[in-house]
Amino acid sequence: MKSLVALIKREFIEHKGAFLYAPAIILAVLSVVMLSGVSFGRFSAVQQVGIISGAKGFEFGFLALSGLWFAYLLFALFFYFADAFSADSRNNSMLFWKSMPVSDFKMLASKMTAGLTLFPALIFGAALVSGVVVFVGTLIMVYTVPGFHLSDPVSYLATGANIAGFSLGYLVLALLWYAPFFGWVGLLSTLFRRWSIPLAFLVPGLVGLAENLLLRDAGPDGGYVLSYLRRRADFEIDGDDLRLALFSDAPFDIATVLGRFVASIDWTQMVGGLVVAALFVYVASEVRRRAVAG
Amino acid sequence: MNDLAQSTTAPIVSARGLRKRFGRNEILHGLDFDIPAGRIYGLVGHNGAGKTTTLNALLGLTSYEGTVRVLGEDPYQKRAQLMENVAFISDVASLPRFLRVRELFALLTNIHPSFDPQKARGFLEGTDVKMEARIKNLSKGMIAQLHLAVVMAINARLLVLDEPTLGLDITYRKRFYRRLLEDYMTEERTLLITTHQVDEIEFMLSDIMFIREGELILHMQMETVSTKFAQVIVKPDQLAAATALGPIYSETRFGQTAMVFDGVERDRLAELGEVSTPTLSDLFVALMQRGAK
Repeated sequence: MKSLVALIKREFIEHKGAFLYAPAIILAVLSVVMLSGVSFGRFSAVQQVGIISGAKGFEFGFLALSGLWFAYLLFALFFYFADAFSADSRNNSMLFWKSMPVSDFKMLASKMTAGLTLFPALIFGAALVSGVVVFVGTLIMVYTVPGFHLSDPVSYLATGANIAGFSLGYLVLALLWYAPFFGWVGLLSTLFRRWSIPLAFLVPGLVGLAENLLLRDAGPDGGYVLSYLRRRADFEIDGDDLRLALFSDAPFDIATVLGRFVASIDWTQMVGGLVVAALFVYVASEVRRRAVAG
Repeated sequence: MNDLAQSTTAPIVSARGLRKRFGRNEILHGLDFDIPAGRIYGLVGHNGAGKTTTLNALLGLTSYEGTVRVLGEDPYQKRAQLMENVAFISDVASLPRFLRVRELFALLTNIHPSFDPQKARGFLEGTDVKMEARIKNLSKGMIAQLHLAVVMAINARLLVLDEPTLGLDITYRKRFYRRLLEDYMTEERTLLITTHQVDEIEFMLSDIMFIREGELILHMQMETVSTKFAQVIVKPDQLAAATALGPIYSETRFGQTAMVFDGVERDRLAELGEVSTPTLSDLFVALMQRGAK
């Protein structure tokens, strides 16, 4: 366990640029832009969105920024897995790590664990700080924008906790849902290094194309492969649930939105996907085990 | 031409019928050897002779045919466990460049149960390697010093060095080997080293193995080398007599003919000219040419 933690720390040191420094810079820029925009009246929630409640504005802004951070995380993780699984052979340190009493599976499992726990936690932290920035912006608007009224302070806390809880819940579920895709990219990275980036899409695309050519008019529209992958890529929250929660006068209700979302998840697919992800990591570790000298 | 050292204890390394193929090309042709504890072995051969492939097999870095046991374990199946007692430097540039020296020691403390960070710090005292330095900013020589400090701070029973001083200047090379002998070697530890600069390690070797085209052509203790092989600077009038004794190698340098003999008594050779023990590099050249395909 001690060595696994150390290896995860190693991943952090190697990739802190994408998951610590870049988010910190984005946060700094975002804070300056948002707070100056609000302070100088270049943005008005009342005119542009029609929001008149401070708490609702905070809720809307925090959730929107959490969504953007989630998109950033998915993007960064895709490149992380495309890089990390082959970084040791590319930067010539493979033999050093192989001289350590750590199996190849443990080495890659540490990368997978870092990608699914530590790095998302850092980005979630960035989302929380964004929430604070939105909160400050909301307070400024309360005092500068006519018609934008202050809610009681407790409601801000409750709203912040609701949005943070919802973001965290969705983040955990989404990472588990997309784990096989990250495992797939990692496996390709072990085999083809940076070519894993286009191959991650090209290989399933070609398989789907071949299926369509060979089994024309059979199966669902677009073929079994592509329609399955489309279904597997879709992990969105029902738009009506979200609109209802956001645009009603009542505070965002995490229990209802997240509860309905959890109930809609195909858990067989979820568990099966995790098994496939573990299998991809195992195969990648066997490839890595043979990687030094053929 | 094998002189497998006899030992009452189990050998640290044992290989029987070690073969390695890459596709249809066989690189190692069934090597048999034992390496007992407490010895310093040199494995010498041309580029492509199979030195690194042999080491990779011993370190569990590649699959193979035959039987290999390192500290009693199958290295390919048990590499991770084995590395608790085996340290190796395969390439001086293999340290992770993104780390600082301090971070490297902190990680190793938690990853390697036999790593002692205090020892590693001690080995770096008096060098230009600073704890806050990033490895990517260190010179080749400093990286070699750092890597040596790391492996010497691991309480390993077997240390394997594959061309550890490649690309270093003579000062660093000499310092590297001196440090290794003075600060690392004990009777319980075994060292296996490959290098092209064979003259630089000759003084420290207890045993030598020559490998040519995937076959061991020499495996013996250094003491045996000096009794078995002899080099003679042959007197001009003794050339015919010397040739009749069947030298394994003959070369004329600056008008003098030097011949290397295998298993000929020194008393007989003394009549032919000035007798000495060939250096490892002379012996290497001699044996590589004998029977070369």
